[in-house]
Amino acid sequence: MKKRFLVLLSLMLIFSLVAVGCGSNEIETPVAEEPSETPSETPVDSEPSTEPVKDTLVVGQGADAKSLDPHATNDQPSSRVSKQIYETLVNQNEAMELEPGLAESWTQIDELTYEFKLKQGVLFHNGEELKASDVKFTILRALESSHIGHIVGPIDGEKIEVIDDYTIRISTKDPFAPLIAHFAHTAMGILNEKAVTEAGEDYGQNPVGTGPFKFVSWVNGDKIDLERFEEYHGEPAKVKYVTIRNLSDNTTRTIELESGGVDIAYDIQPSDVARVEENSELTLLRDMNLSTAYVGFNTEKAPYDNLLVRQAINYALDMDTIVDVVYEGVGAPSNGPLGPNVWASNQDLEQYGFNIEKAKELMKEAGYENGFKTTIWTNDNQQRMDIAEIAQNQLKEIGIEAEVKVVEWGAYLDGTANGEHDMFILGWVTVTGDPDYGLYALFHSSQMGAAGNRTFYSNDRVDELLDEARVSADPAVREAAYKEAQKIIRDEAPWIFTWSGENVSGTRANVKGFSQHPAGHHKLSGVYFE
Amino acid sequence: MHKYILRRLLLLIPVMLGVSFIVFTMMYFTPGDPARIMLGESAPEADVQKLRDDLGLNDPFFIQYGRYVKNAVVNQDMGRSYITKRPVFDEIAARFPNTLKLASMGVLIAVVIGVPIGIISATRQYSLFDNISMVVALIGVSMPNFWQGLLLIILFSINLAWLPSSGFDTWKHMILPAVTLGTSSAAIITRMTRSSMLEVVRQDYIRTARAKGQKESVVINQHALKNALIPVITVIGLQFGYLLGGAVLTESIFGISGVGRLMVDSIKSRDMLVVQGGVLFIAVTFSIVNLGVDILYSFVDPRIKSQYK
Repeated sequence: MKKRFLVLLSLMLIFSLVAVGCGSNEIETPVAEEPSETPSETPVDSEPSTEPVKDTLVVGQGADAKSLDPHATNDQPSSRVSKQIYETLVNQNEAMELEPGLAESWTQIDELTYEFKLKQGVLFHNGEELKASDVKFTILRALESSHIGHIVGPIDGEKIEVIDDYTIRISTKDPFAPLIAHFAHTAMGILNEKAVTEAGEDYGQNPVGTGPFKFVSWVNGDKIDLERFEEYHGEPAKVKYVTIRNLSDNTTRTIELESGGVDIAYDIQPSDVARVEENSELTLLRDMNLSTAYVGFNTEKAPYDNLLVRQAINYALDMDTIVDVVYEGVGAPSNGPLGPNVWASNQDLEQYGFNIEKAKELMKEAGYENGFKTTIWTNDNQQRMDIAEIAQNQLKEIGIEAEVKVVEWGAYLDGTANGEHDMFILGWVTVTGDPDYGLYALFHSSQMGAAGNRTFYSNDRVDELLDEARVSADPAVREAAYKEAQKIIRDEAPWIFTWSGENVSGTRANVKGFSQHPAGHHKLSGVYFE
Repeated sequence: MHKYILRRLLLLIPVMLGVSFIVFTMMYFTPGDPARIMLGESAPEADVQKLRDDLGLNDPFFIQYGRYVKNAVVNQDMGRSYITKRPVFDEIAARFPNTLKLASMGVLIAVVIGVPIGIISATRQYSLFDNISMVVALIGVSMPNFWQGLLLIILFSINLAWLPSSGFDTWKHMILPAVTLGTSSAAIITRMTRSSMLEVVRQDYIRTARAKGQKESVVINQHALKNALIPVITVIGLQFGYLLGGAVLTESIFGISGVGRLMVDSIKSRDMLVVQGGVLFIAVTFSIVNLGVDILYSFVDPRIKSQYK
């Protein structure tokens, strides 16, 4: 009896030693060599990659979609699925160029009105043909939605005119130059009137679009299955099935990619980049995207109403170090309010750069030679908390004693909207690729508080430029106005310009034809296995 | 006995009312506007107000709560999720099977490991086996689940490639998460079994049993164990009830869509009706497990049965 237990016990100890031993090995040496044999050897549930024809593409993302009704949500995980199911009138390709989508062509009739010619013979997944009436129905429905109001808002619902089955005129209330870019937003996917009416409240779980994949099933919180739409009007999708899995734990997502549980993993964390890169079984994709992170000042509150203080702080922070440490080299320090992929982004702006002497001088000039006490707000996002902590330390150099306050997300949005903060850290995605989206809400004085301008920044010239560029039909005029506005904003420093983001995805090496869209919703119809 | 069970089930009604009121109040006064969180930082204020109206969030507290209770009682409708627009009941029902499987397997593993080791440790107090198993149990209690889960994944999914690292489709998927949950519960059960047994084996009637020449195995299994089991069953019941509420970390690491993750996601996004429904659901399952435990007592100890009148 005693002996048997001793054996059992030793086995347990050996097991724990092995587990711990392997664990620590794993951390030091990336998995590069070992798993090259795993797929052929092991009947792990996912099909081994050696199988000749693999027809299911499995994608892992960090959250489940909320709804596949484009008007019921505007979150990235949902858009990433919707993108495969729906199509928009205008398509924005990976180079951010606008090209025909469901609309073959469009012309501007007058200052307010555009006419769209629809492609003929386009079928919805329920067999209905796409008609101009569906487009009208979609836009009117979108105007009712509180989730995407800011995308369709400029459209005048009463002046949508169906000319014939394949021609439609759409007008805005005021001249609105970025309109065409807004039609390329995933939230503007065209719906089928019959399908929406039939499904009623459950439409978000029964989406019907014209896209290359049709919806099959949704295991709540777990995965969504799509299947190739055989009557697709364009080039058919290359794989037959797509499964989009919800893998919320970042490490798990990378591990699933390594072990072959997923073929593509979105949003590889900076800390996992090297692991994926060094693994010969995997391919890492990195492309600058449309996001930016910034530290904002409450410019209505002393001492941040003083330009010199804002500039001093911009000089006092070493952004290169921050990007290196916090983002582990993913993305790049930003030089202005817009990332490089946004149209008319002013990339000639000079970064403030780390210059402690200059910072001290400016502080002295501003009358804050001995510094002051302040708070830096952040939500519990790890990267933002890290930025706050580094900033806290670096600001000590110029006598600023900053307290880092971690605020829960909901309370954070409320507090910063009400102007309760001193400094705060947030991000923005200029998802349409048009500067209007990335500047108007954030810097126009009419947008203070919850609307987006949480720095309460106000500059008459900037207002004027943003208004002008919003209505002008001349791209050259718009570009000049945006570039000037960015220059002023950079110099007036309502932000500490921190970081331009990068999309980082990993794929199995046999996955081909995948490229990332700067807006983050990547097309899957061109993806195939080698 | 039947009357007792019925009475206990009826007691669930005030429990549910109390729980729903507390949760509703807490969610109502938690900072962070659900509409603002849903629409994100870029939405104009007008859209947020519109959504608040649509969701009925602008109504006074008691009207909102009254509407909720009325819907739940009269129409048996717990509402729809603010976010996915799915009925709350469906949201929970879709995930509960995963949680139930995970919790059951976890507890099963915990019992199979914990009870025998606890008994042996107690019968050989201060032996090598006892010392080692108590140290292992201490490690089991102290080791965070998420860390143990990752170690298991690294060993069994990546290095050995025997088991899948996430998902919950087949029995293979269930092994690692169940072991992760089971070992930490096992540690607690081991310690409880041991201390409870130690108390019992010192009683006079055990000495009597031994004195009359009873075999040691009979003394332990028939005389001691039955009496030592009451606190052990209590702990097992508590563990099971607790796991049915969802094991958030384990679910996240193994990518399992269970009740725990649903709750955390819903709390973060202030999806009040789902949180409300979820907490009620957990309260009810916990109460039912407790009732089950109380009924089990009567089988183990006839003296208790006589009290259930």
